[in-house]
Amino acid sequence: MENKDALSSWVNDYTTDLYARAASKVSDKELAADLVQETFLAAAEKIDTFRGESNPKTWLFSILNHKIIDHYRQKVKHPVQFEDNTLAQFFGEDHEWKESKKPGTWQVDNETNLLDDDNFNSVLKQCLDALPETWNICVKLKYLSEKKGDDICQELDISPSNYWQIIHRAKLQLRECIDKNWFN
Amino acid sequence: MKIMKKIMHVLFLSCLKATELIEKQFQVKLSVKEKIQLKMHKMMCDACSMYEKQSTFIEHSIEAHQHHHPSTNELDTEKLKKSIYKKLDNSK
Repeated sequence: MENKDALSSWVNDYTTDLYARAASKVSDKELAADLVQETFLAAAEKIDTFRGESNPKTWLFSILNHKIIDHYRQKVKHPVQFEDNTLAQFFGEDHEWKESKKPGTWQVDNETNLLDDDNFNSVLKQCLDALPETWNICVKLKYLSEKKGDDICQELDISPSNYWQIIHRAKLQLRECIDKNWFN
Repeated sequence: MKIMKKIMHVLFLSCLKATELIEKQFQVKLSVKEKIQLKMHKMMCDACSMYEKQSTFIEHSIEAHQHHHPSTNELDTEKLKKSIYKKLDNSK
């Protein structure tokens, strides 16, 4: 009975924060709401194992994180494939930068302000969303689970070298997208 | 000339390989050899030095982006709370 009361008050206190987190990780709002709901259902089942050793908020966020990772893992069931023309877009046959693709200067006066800027964040989101889906998932998982590359590879069932290649390509495209849409 | 370039690439990496190592170092420690090669490459290559700077900036911005919630007012979490209460009651 006591557990149930605790859970109810957590729903009241933490739903908004959990939802905000979920919505920032998955782009679909309904899915975000579902994940929060599943988080509380899982918490209700496991509440006997939670003995107040950690902060309830931390505990709930870790359950939510697992739910989000599970969601992405299910999406990447097949080994990640990519057509290998990305690198050829940026580098010549001699593996040097193509003249037109060489990174130019970015004028950043105050990094902290820029990272907090709504417009900049929407450009960044737009550029992340423009990546092929599996790349996007790899990039997101990297920041989602404070996990090292190796563990992410295991979860997604891809080899580490495949993972580097994906991140490398994703970063080249992201850089160019941000360059075009923000710095120019 | 071509041979010269090949030797340079073996010793100090091509830009393609250098940018790959730049990404790799965000996740794992590079080997001593890789570190030296990358450092030498950057000394000779402005484009890759610039790339590293900008890629580091992108790392920071993606991390910050995860915590950036511009408009929380549009979410109706009261409705969500109610639905969670209902589900929890049903599951008991």
